[in-house]
Amino acid sequence: MTRTPLRPLARILNARQKGENPDSIERENLRLRHEVMRDKSRGSAQLRLVVLALSFFGAFTLIGARMGTIAASEPVEPRTASAGTEIDAGRADIVDRNGRILATNMLTHALYVQTRDLIDPARVAKELAAIFPDLDEKTLLRRFTDGRSFLWVRKVLSPEQMQQVHEIGDPGLLFGPREMRLYPNGTLAAHVLGGSSFGAEGVNSAEVIGTAGLEKFEDARLRDPAQAGTPLVTSLDITVQAAVEDVLASGITMMNAKGGAAILMDVNTGEIVALAAGPTFDPNDRPANPTSGDPSDSPLFNRAVQGVYELGSTFKIFAASQAIELGLVTPETLVDANAPMYYGKFKINEFEGHNYGPMLSVSDIIAKSSNVGTAHIAMMIGGERQQAFLKSLGLFDASPVELVEAKGAKPLRPARWPEIVTITAAYGHGISGSPLNLAAAYASIANGGIKVTPTLLKRTEPMQGPRILSKAVALQAVGMMRRVVTEGTASLGDVPGYAVAGKTGTAEKTRKGGGYIKDKVVNTFASVFPANDPKYVLVVTLDEPSENTGSKPRRTAGWTAVPVAAEIIRRAAPLLGLRPQVEAASLDGLVAVKN
Amino acid sequence: MSFLEYRLKLAPSGIAKVFYIQWALILVLIAIAAIGWLMLYSIAGGDMDTWALPQIKRFGMGLGLLFFVAFIPIWFWRSMSGVSYIVAMLLLLVVHFFGTVGMGAQRWIDLGFMRLQPSELMKVTLVMILAAYYDWLDDKKVSRPLWVLIPVVLILLPTYFVLKQPNLGTSMMLILAGAGVMFAAGVSLWYFGVVGALGGGGIAAIIMSEGTPWQVLHDYQYKRIHTFLDPAADPLGTGYNIIQAKIALGSGGWAGKGFMQGTQSRLNFLPEKHTDFIFTTLGEEFGFVGAISLLALYTLVLVFCITAAIQNKDRFSQLLIIGVAMNFFLYLAVNLSMVMGMAPVVGVPLPLLSYGGSATLVILLAFGLVQSAIVHRPR
Repeated sequence: MTRTPLRPLARILNARQKGENPDSIERENLRLRHEVMRDKSRGSAQLRLVVLALSFFGAFTLIGARMGTIAASEPVEPRTASAGTEIDAGRADIVDRNGRILATNMLTHALYVQTRDLIDPARVAKELAAIFPDLDEKTLLRRFTDGRSFLWVRKVLSPEQMQQVHEIGDPGLLFGPREMRLYPNGTLAAHVLGGSSFGAEGVNSAEVIGTAGLEKFEDARLRDPAQAGTPLVTSLDITVQAAVEDVLASGITMMNAKGGAAILMDVNTGEIVALAAGPTFDPNDRPANPTSGDPSDSPLFNRAVQGVYELGSTFKIFAASQAIELGLVTPETLVDANAPMYYGKFKINEFEGHNYGPMLSVSDIIAKSSNVGTAHIAMMIGGERQQAFLKSLGLFDASPVELVEAKGAKPLRPARWPEIVTITAAYGHGISGSPLNLAAAYASIANGGIKVTPTLLKRTEPMQGPRILSKAVALQAVGMMRRVVTEGTASLGDVPGYAVAGKTGTAEKTRKGGGYIKDKVVNTFASVFPANDPKYVLVVTLDEPSENTGSKPRRTAGWTAVPVAAEIIRRAAPLLGLRPQVEAASLDGLVAVKN
Repeated sequence: MSFLEYRLKLAPSGIAKVFYIQWALILVLIAIAAIGWLMLYSIAGGDMDTWALPQIKRFGMGLGLLFFVAFIPIWFWRSMSGVSYIVAMLLLLVVHFFGTVGMGAQRWIDLGFMRLQPSELMKVTLVMILAAYYDWLDDKKVSRPLWVLIPVVLILLPTYFVLKQPNLGTSMMLILAGAGVMFAAGVSLWYFGVVGALGGGGIAAIIMSEGTPWQVLHDYQYKRIHTFLDPAADPLGTGYNIIQAKIALGSGGWAGKGFMQGTQSRLNFLPEKHTDFIFTTLGEEFGFVGAISLLALYTLVLVFCITAAIQNKDRFSQLLIIGVAMNFFLYLAVNLSMVMGMAPVVGVPLPLLSYGGSATLVILLAFGLVQSAIVHRPR
């Protein structure tokens, strides 16, 4: 860059010659130089102004675009139900396998009091006590005036109650919206659903938490906000469940039983289509957990899952089918059945001192429910193989079903396993399990020998399980059970057209101190239908039944549990979509030969 | 030594100044204010006396002030910038100290006929003193650290007292407008880069430290940040204004519900409907078309300012116009993004539309300075 000198010598001299002041030349040059500099800096300053202007327009474009999106949006009111809290109130519905509601949520209101805003606490206490008879006027008044500023009065209000409270008209009475759990079918499937209650409670919402059953087992899933819109699909079928509960309840009454349980399971998938236990309760108004007495006397006690009973002769089919599987016997093999049988100091009797011996075929041992015959079969199998087989049927472990109660109901079995245990376990004594354990084991035989894992949730994919019996043996076992109904101990269980097969079991209840109580029994009928192509297993258990129509009370499963099961199948089978069928000829042939 | 002193003779004098005033700009300002009067009339339910009439009177006063300022030569205002900065600073201090002693948490001084917010006045005087400073400063020194430090102190001093009031919105505007003038004056971009990076890093550190043992802010302050980021989390609390504003804007749709037909804003869903949130009423009643037209008018104001700044060869005038435009832009941007949920609710009015005295007067005063710069620019 060439710079003009401020005092160019030639011009200065020139000016001096003319007598002018040379300083003006310097000033002029300085001014010119400044102007050049200014023009340069103004160039860059203008660039910066343009940058500023562009950023203004950029910001305005952004604002304009935002205005456009808002104008195009649909205005949505904020949801007041969940306003201002971190309490997550959305809980997924529970539905049956066809999507019918078992549990859902309903908007209700809680009543709370801000005592400082109360105008007339005495009048409010009096009127509240009139609306809610369970509230005490004096207690209310004391709590209104003892210095606290806030208190809950009711957790939920019906619309009528809310209106009545509203009409008291005191500004200190306030309503807090919240969602409550509603079981629209009342007692239906109560033992499956369990129940729920309020967890964290806020003025604007309250948390619903599962307290029992499926609600508690699946609590995390039901509360997961991501899945709140997707209902939990259970394997239950409401119509079948209602039929099963109906028949079971009348069965318990007719057989004078303390309680009972019924489980209907799909043998191919392990899905529980109906699970009922009596007595029952209403999960909308779940009673408090019992604090005294025997917990099994409470209606909350789920006999189907929590009831751990000696299941008696129903176990005999396990010994028979294992022996056939091992090649030790065939259904026609004759086995020693001479009663009574002595093993060491133990004496093994048949029911009411019968003697079915001296020899019985394996098939007849099952049909007649011979203890002695089963004992001989068990001795052939041996303790170790027997334990392995019972374990593979899931009879040694708590049922993995989706109920919190199941984990606590672990089957009871002897710590040691001498040969006498092998013998008694074979006919279901000295070993206990829940009806649900038994149902899963029977399903494993009925489906052709694939181990069944019971579930209360609808399966979306086919069940995978290890094979525990060959298909042929499983079929023979079902055939033997069919004979129990056609000519054995469960003759009352025949339902025309549905080819019921099954095995009865009667076990005396154990005394607390040890030993058995003669007149307190548990009757079980584990059935499979239809026998020619087993689709369902039904286990009916009655607790302390007694059938009193005869000359003396009858307490065998054949007289109590079997007719109840038959009635259930009669009502449920059509609901399950099974058509009545003419019996297979071979089975009829067997009957004819016997006659 | 200012450039314009060389050509003083070319500046108009006397009544001739009227012809040099940028009338188009004044017309746009009046148009914007008129829209505001319509909205205030509508929000009051078709009543002039509640808000519209007082606002018209104030605007008239402000317009008088504008002309008064415009007729006084810009070099007078340049020589007054130091004095006005000191006066505004003193007023801030009065509010600061007497505010705590005698006036509660007030931000304003009662002048009898109106309440003056010194922080509003400071927005103009800060721009003036910065423009005068860079006009005085040799171009070569602009980016030297010591000469950068002086304007930074000039900005941060009032900012501190405004922040203490507390008034986060205005203090942010002071910093940003000051930074805008410094940017236009040619301060090296490195300074802006470093300050921007430090600021970004600081904000990141504040947010990242939440929940750790060394967290910077209190828990409730983090909660406010969360509410800003997701107003739906607390729809009845801090998020209420934003959500209701969005509903009003959304229910306006493209063409709006029609004048006087808005429900959301008139039914008292919005607490600040006639001041900070007046834009929602416009959006509801005139829809997207009305809102974008208003935005176009505001854009026009800025276009006038920027062309005037580019045309003006006087450095003080140029920087002053840029500073005023910057302030005007910040009012708009902060208010609109706040109403539309893009920025936290900080209580910045919509210039010339919102009901309120100080802001209107100060904005018109500032445009008076702009007009003076236009009238007296060297030709």
